Amino acid sequence: MIPSTDYIRLLPELILIVFGLLVMLIEPLLGEHNNRKGLGAIALMGAVLSILASFYQTGYEGAAFFDMIHVDTFSIFFHVLIGLIAAVVILASFEYLNLQQIRYGEYYGLILLSSVGMMLMSSAVELVLIFIALEISSIGTYILAGFRRNAPISIESSMKYFLLGSFATAFFLYGVALMFGATGSTSVYTIATTLAQGATPLAYVGIALMFVGLGFKVASAPFHIWTPDVYEGAPAPVVAFMSTGPKAAAFAVLLRVLFATEAPGWFWLIWASAVLSMTLGNIGALVQNNVKRLLAYSSIAQAGYILVAFAAAKDIGISAVIFYAAAYAAMNVGAFAVASHLANVGEKYVTLDDYAGLGRRAPGLAAVLTIFMLSLIGIPVTGGFLAKFYVFQAAMQSHLTGLVIIGVINSAVAAYYYLRVIVYMYMREPQRDVPVLKMPFALGVSLAACLAATIYLGVLPGRILDYAMASARVLVR
Amino acid sequence: MYNHILSIVLFTPLLGALVLLLIPKEQKNAIRWVANLFSLAGLLISLPLIPWFWALRTQSGFKFIEGAPNTWIPSIGAGYYLGIDGISFLLIMLTTLLGWISILSSWNAIQDRVKEYYVWFLVLQTGMLGVFMALDFFLFFVFWEAMLVPMYLLIGIWGGPRKLYAAIKFFLYTLLGSVLMLLAILFLYFHHHTVTGAYTFSIPELYQTAPQIPYHYAIWLFLAFFIGFAIKVPMFPFHTWLPDAHVEAPTAGSVILAGVLLKMGTYGFMRFSLPFFPQVLDPIAHPAVRGTIITLSIIGIIYGALVSLVQKDMKKLVAYSSVSHLGFCTLGIFALNQAGLSGSLLQQINHGISTGALFLIVGILYERRHTREIAEYGGISNVMPVYATITMIMFLSSMGLPLLNGFIGEFTILQGAFIESKAWAAWAIPGVVLAASYLLWLYQRVFFGPVNNPKNEKLQDLTPREVLCFVPLILLAFWIGLYPKPIFQIMDQPVQQIVQTVRPDLNKPVLAQTPIPSAAQALPVEAGK
Amino acid sequence: MVPISYYLVLSAILFACGVLGFLIKRNVITIFMSIELMLNAVNLSFVAFASYWQALSGQVFVFFVMVVAAAEAAVGLAIIIAVFRTRQTLNPDRVNLLKL
Repeated sequence: MIPSTDYIRLLPELILIVFGLLVMLIEPLLGEHNNRKGLGAIALMGAVLSILASFYQTGYEGAAFFDMIHVDTFSIFFHVLIGLIAAVVILASFEYLNLQQIRYGEYYGLILLSSVGMMLMSSAVELVLIFIALEISSIGTYILAGFRRNAPISIESSMKYFLLGSFATAFFLYGVALMFGATGSTSVYTIATTLAQGATPLAYVGIALMFVGLGFKVASAPFHIWTPDVYEGAPAPVVAFMSTGPKAAAFAVLLRVLFATEAPGWFWLIWASAVLSMTLGNIGALVQNNVKRLLAYSSIAQAGYILVAFAAAKDIGISAVIFYAAAYAAMNVGAFAVASHLANVGEKYVTLDDYAGLGRRAPGLAAVLTIFMLSLIGIPVTGGFLAKFYVFQAAMQSHLTGLVIIGVINSAVAAYYYLRVIVYMYMREPQRDVPVLKMPFALGVSLAACLAATIYLGVLPGRILDYAMASARVLVR
Repeated sequence: MYNHILSIVLFTPLLGALVLLLIPKEQKNAIRWVANLFSLAGLLISLPLIPWFWALRTQSGFKFIEGAPNTWIPSIGAGYYLGIDGISFLLIMLTTLLGWISILSSWNAIQDRVKEYYVWFLVLQTGMLGVFMALDFFLFFVFWEAMLVPMYLLIGIWGGPRKLYAAIKFFLYTLLGSVLMLLAILFLYFHHHTVTGAYTFSIPELYQTAPQIPYHYAIWLFLAFFIGFAIKVPMFPFHTWLPDAHVEAPTAGSVILAGVLLKMGTYGFMRFSLPFFPQVLDPIAHPAVRGTIITLSIIGIIYGALVSLVQKDMKKLVAYSSVSHLGFCTLGIFALNQAGLSGSLLQQINHGISTGALFLIVGILYERRHTREIAEYGGISNVMPVYATITMIMFLSSMGLPLLNGFIGEFTILQGAFIESKAWAAWAIPGVVLAASYLLWLYQRVFFGPVNNPKNEKLQDLTPREVLCFVPLILLAFWIGLYPKPIFQIMDQPVQQIVQTVRPDLNKPVLAQTPIPSAAQALPVEAGK
Repeated sequence: MVPISYYLVLSAILFACGVLGFLIKRNVITIFMSIELMLNAVNLSFVAFASYWQALSGQVFVFFVMVVAAAEAAVGLAIIIAVFRTRQTLNPDRVNLLKL
C-alpha cells in the first residue's frame, strides 16, 4: 500500500496535473473567438496552489513512492522556484497571446504540465524517473516553442529545439544505462554506496554522457549551439519560461547526479564547460543586434557562471548554484517579459535599434529593463551581484583561482553588451517609429514580481542564502 | 542623531532621489528646487560632524561606529558596518560640499531629462559617501560598484559628442579594476577564516590577519588591489580613460569625478593597500615595489603636466592636470612617512577644491559660448571681471602658490619624498614648475589681451548663483593656505597609525614628532636641510 | 552463452550510427529516425545489463523508454508536419530562417 503521506510529497505535481488537465478539457468547450484569459486565470490558480502545496511539504520531508522521489529542503526550494516562474510567465502571457492572435488555451496547460516535469526533476532520486521527468518537461516546451503557428520562424525554432533536445536526452539516457550497468541500480543513493567502493570506467563514461545530456538542457558550451536560434524564434514569454525553468530543473538534476551520488571524475568536464560557456557566451553576445539572441548568448554565459559554482563543489558551491538559479530566474524572466511586451504584434520589434529612445517613449519600462540588465552584469543591490559574488566566493574557497580569474574577466567583458542595451534605450535616437503599447495590468504585476525578487535577493539575501545552504547540506549529507 | 549621524548623512541624498521620483518630470523647476534642497540638507547635516569629530580627533580607531560586523548577511559574514577616522572624515566633508556645489551648478546646464539627472546624481552621492564610510569589505564593494552606474549614465546621457565611447570606457576600465579587487578581497576573507576560523568581511578584523600573509601571495593581492585603485586614481599608465571621461562629462559630473571619484583610488591606497600589505611595501626587503610605484607617480606628474601644456581644449587641459596632481598624491602616499601621507591627504582635499573649481570655471564659459577651444577666447577679463578674479585665485591655488592651499599640500608631499630620497623630490619639482606654466599660459591666452572674437564681447559675468558655488571653495583655499593646522591635527592620528603599521622600524623623523603647525613654520625645516 | 560485452559493443555501435545519422542526414524524418535508433540502442544496453545484474528493473525501464519515445514521436512528427506546411520542404538546410 502507498501511505497517504506519499501523496502529500507529490502534492504540488498533482495539483499542477489536475489544473493542467482542467485547462485542456475546458479549452474545446470555449468558442472559436472567446478570450482565453479565463483559462490563464485557472492556470495561474493552479501554479499558486502548487507553490502553497510546496510550502506545506516542509512538514513532510522524506522519501515517497518506493524511494522514487525525495522531498527535502532542496526539492522544496526548486518546487517553489519553478512554481513562481510558471506563475509569472502565465501572468506575462495574458496580453501576449491576445496580441499575437494565439487562441489556444493549451498554452497554459502545457506550461503547467511541463512544470510538473521540472518539479519532478528536482525531487526525483531515481535516474529513470529523472529521465521521464526530463522528457515531460521537454515535450511541453518543444510545443510551446512553436506556438506562434503562423510564423515560420517559431515553428522552425520548435523543430530545432525538438531535434537537438531529443538528441541530448538520448545521451542522458545512455548515461543512465551505463550507470545502471556499472552499479546495478538507478537509485541515486544506492549508486552512491556502490561508487563509494570504487568506480569502474563504465561509471565515468556514464557520468560524462549524463553531463552531455544535461549540458544541452542548461545550454552550456559546447552544447549550446541551439540556444540563440531557439530563443530567437520561440514566443518571448515561452523563452522566459524555458530559459529559466528547465534550466533550474536541469541544474537541480545535475546537483543530485554529481553530488548525491558522489560521482567521480567530472571536475575537468565541468571546469572546461564553465570556461567555454562563459567565454563563448559572452563573445557571441557582443555582436548581437537582436535582443532575444543577445539574451540567449547571455544565458549561455550565465550557465557558465553557475558551472563555476559546480566546480567549487562542497556545500557552499551547491548553495551558490541554488541561489544563482533563483536570482537568474528573477532577472531573466523579467528581461524576457519586457522584451515580449516591446516585441508587439508578430514580434516585429526585437532588435536593439527598436529599443533606441525607449528611455523617452516608455521611461518606466526602460528603467525596469535597465535594472534587469544591471543585475545580469552583477551590479550591487541586485540579485545578480550577490549571486555572482557568492559563486566566485565559493570558487575561491575551493582554490580555483584560475577559474575565478577567467570568470571575473568574463563578467567585466559581459558588461559591455548589457550596457549596449542601456545605451540604446537612453542614449540613441530612434531610427524608425516603434509603437509602445500601454502596459497591461497582468504584465505589470509579473514585472513587479521579478523586480521585487531581483532587488530582494540583492538587498536582503540572508534568508534565501541560509535556505540554500540548508538545501546544500541535505544534498551532500 | 549623534549615534546615527553616519547613516543620516549617507542616506539623505538617496532619500532625495526617492522624493524626486514622485515629482512629475514636467515640473523641472520643482525638481531642481527639491534636488538642491536635499543636496544642501546633505551638506548641512554633515556639518555637526565637524565639532563632534574634532572632540574625538586624538582617539585611535574608528569613530561614530554604526552597525556591527556580520549583521547584514550573517551567512557570508557581511555587515552593515560604518565608521570613520580622520582620513575618511575629511573626504566625506569634501564629498558633501562638492555634491552640493555640483548640483547647484547644474541648474541651467541641464535642460534635458532633468528629473533623471538629479535622481542619478543624488544616488551617486550616496554611493560615494558609502565608500568612505564602509568598514565592511562587502559593503565597501557594494558602494564601490554601485557608484559606477550613475556616473556611467551621467557621462553617457548628459555628456558631450563622444559621450558613448567615453562612458563605456570609463565603465569597463573601472569594472575590470574592481573585479580584480574582488578576488583579492575574497582571498583576504578566506585567509582570515583559515587563521581565526571566522568568516567576516569586517575591515578592522581583516587588519589583524592580512599582514601575516607571506610575501609571495601578498604581492599578487597587493597587485590586484593596486590595479583596481590605480585605475581609479588614475595613475600612469592606467589614466587613458580619464581625459575622455572628463571631456565628455557634463560640468557637474567632471567636478564630482575629479573632486571625489578619483580620491577613492588614493583613499583605497591609504585605507587598504598600506595597512593590509606592509610586508609587500617594506622598503628595505622589497625596494622594487615601492620604487616602481614612485616611478609611475613621477612619470604621471611630469607626463600629465607636459600633455596639459599642449592642449587646445581647456577641459582636456584641466583633465590632464589632474593626472599630474594625483601623481603628487600617490608620490606622497608611497613615500610611506608621516609627511608624505599627510601631505597627500591634504593634497587630495586641495585637488578636490581647486580642480573642482577649475571644472566649474570651464563649465561656465562653455555654457555661455558652447566651445572650449582656447583659441576662441581672449581678453575675457575685460568682459567678465568677477569671473577673471575668481579664476585667477583658483589657478594660483591649483599651481601651488604660497598662502593658498595647493602650496601646503605639494610642499608637504615633497618634504615627505625628500626624506626618503632626494632624487624623488628633485624629479617631482618640475611638475610644480610646469603646472605654473600651463595654467598661467592658459590664463594669459583666455583672459588677457584685447577681445578679438566678437562673440565674446557680450558675455555675461557671473550670476549670484554661480558666485555662490565658488565662495566656499575660495574660503577653503585661503583657510588651508593660511592655517592648515587643524586639518593636519585631524589626520595626524590615522596617518601615524598607518605609518606605524607599514614601517614599525622607522625611527621617527623630525617631522613626525612636531606636527607641521603651519606653512610659515614648515619652511625653516626645509631650509635647514 | 554470449558475453555481455557483445551486447554492449553492439549497443554502442547502434548508438554511434544514430549519432552519425543525426549529424549527416539531410532529411528531418531520417534525422528523427536516427534519434529513435539511439534510444533503442540504449534499450539494448538496459536489457543486457538487466540480465547481467539479474535485476528485473532494467527490463521495466525499457518499457518506460518506449513509452516516452512514442510520446516524443507523436509530438515530433506533429512539429515536422507544421514545418512542412509552412516551408514545403523537409531538408533542414532549406529550413534556414534561423541560422544554425
